[in-house]
Amino acid sequence: MPSMAIQLQRYLPERDSTPHWQAFNVEYDDSTSVLDALEQIKAEQDSSLSYRWSCRMAICGSCGVMVNGVPKLGCKTFLRDYPKGLQLAPLGNFPVEKDLIVDMSRFLEHLTAIKPYLIAEAAPQGQPHRQTPAQLARYKQFSNCINCGLCYAACPQFGLKPDFLGPAAIALAHRYNLDSRDSGKAERMAQLNSDNGVWGCTFVGYCSTVCPKGVDPAAAVNQGKIASTLDGVIQWFKPAKASRNKEQR
Amino acid sequence: MPMLNKNASQTTPHRSDEPIWWSLFSAGGVCVAMLVPAITLLVLLGIPLGLVSAEQLSYQRLHALVFHPLGLGVVLGAMVLPLFHAMHRIHHGLHDLKLAHGRLAKWLCYGSAVLLSLLVLGLWFSGLG
Amino acid sequence: MSRKPYQPPMPASWWLKHPAYRFYMLREATVLPLLFFVASLLYGLYALGQGESSWLQYLSWLQQPWVIALNSLALVASLFHAWTFFVLFPQVMPLRLGSRTLPAWLMVSAQWAGVLLVILALWWLLGGMNADA
Repeated sequence: MPSMAIQLQRYLPERDSTPHWQAFNVEYDDSTSVLDALEQIKAEQDSSLSYRWSCRMAICGSCGVMVNGVPKLGCKTFLRDYPKGLQLAPLGNFPVEKDLIVDMSRFLEHLTAIKPYLIAEAAPQGQPHRQTPAQLARYKQFSNCINCGLCYAACPQFGLKPDFLGPAAIALAHRYNLDSRDSGKAERMAQLNSDNGVWGCTFVGYCSTVCPKGVDPAAAVNQGKIASTLDGVIQWFKPAKASRNKEQR
Repeated sequence: MPMLNKNASQTTPHRSDEPIWWSLFSAGGVCVAMLVPAITLLVLLGIPLGLVSAEQLSYQRLHALVFHPLGLGVVLGAMVLPLFHAMHRIHHGLHDLKLAHGRLAKWLCYGSAVLLSLLVLGLWFSGLG
Repeated sequence: MSRKPYQPPMPASWWLKHPAYRFYMLREATVLPLLFFVASLLYGLYALGQGESSWLQYLSWLQQPWVIALNSLALVASLFHAWTFFVLFPQVMPLRLGSRTLPAWLMVSAQWAGVLLVILALWWLLGGMNADA
């Protein structure tokens, strides 16, 4: 079996004040993923190494790492594609907790804020919520998000301004806003309309490049800008109703 | 301990005024893409590139074209909206490069777009007479 | 056990780190040559308002090497801007017919056709047909 040199960014909070690089050698074949390599290192070379993982099939979204500076899922990235060697670091723009583990709570707060679930009135007695294929097609692409956070690691606006709701949260808000069964758009627009909502984005577009599920969050955010603009115009002409973006409830 | 901000979902942030600037920026972006290549190619670089003669860019012809009511539309599309387009990107660029952010930078950027636009309109209306 | 998370720095040079960020900055920088383009038109508008002699002065100003160089840069920048902007359009405003989305290439090429049409229209306005004879 051939072997490959891997540089790992280590951070041991009880010992280090800043991260440092450590070199490892792993054996690999055509089927060895970055996650497999990490498991090999932890099992055979250094049991103190910490990283997150769960499903190994690109659905849980736990094993995001920077591979040669690019946000990737460890389970979906293969050593065979990096003949010149690998540098693995924790996801960018997040605080590093230990080694490859980052603190994602800021992303989770933003996700909570936009209410990423159906806010729907009950369907008619005993009936399912009906939806046509055309209605499904409007949001289907944006529903594939697995909350892996790669887009946050790719987004310089999130890095510059951590209060920016960010690509995945806004894409999910957009997904539910586009859902014909949902009636919670007003609650989500209040968040999206702010400087830290859709307006924090400058369409760098890299979030969509790195998304492992083809969600295209950049499209969602920028469609959200049109939605927010229209929302503002509508509020302008309907002053009677309580304004959406003042303290409510 | 990682504390989720419990207020995050309850507080309602202020509505941004960015829709105004973004709309002007977007309209300007379309105008830049559609009008700037034609105007640079045929007017600003027309003679050096040999695409038009000095005769074609005569004072009489250009004066008639520019100071026509439809010429005002071109002036808006080729100068005023591109100014807002440019100053919007510069405003965000200053933030991206960590050079400046906040109210002052915003006032300076969009303020200069407004002032220069007024100058453009002033020149056009004074040229009419 | 106490935590000690490490916050990675975000230096002002962040955009040099990756080709995608450099491309973004280049796109944003297209407005700098654009400002020169607007300044050129501003001078032209002023000259046109002043009378024929200052218009002729303006035409000779346009033929100075440094002005030609900056306007050429503005032309290249506007075409690069157009390329990046046209690609965004189907992403931001997908046009739907029923459950189908209009293909992106169609929307992008329609916009390029628009650019070509504007060039031809301006050429016609400048008496292009007659002058060539």
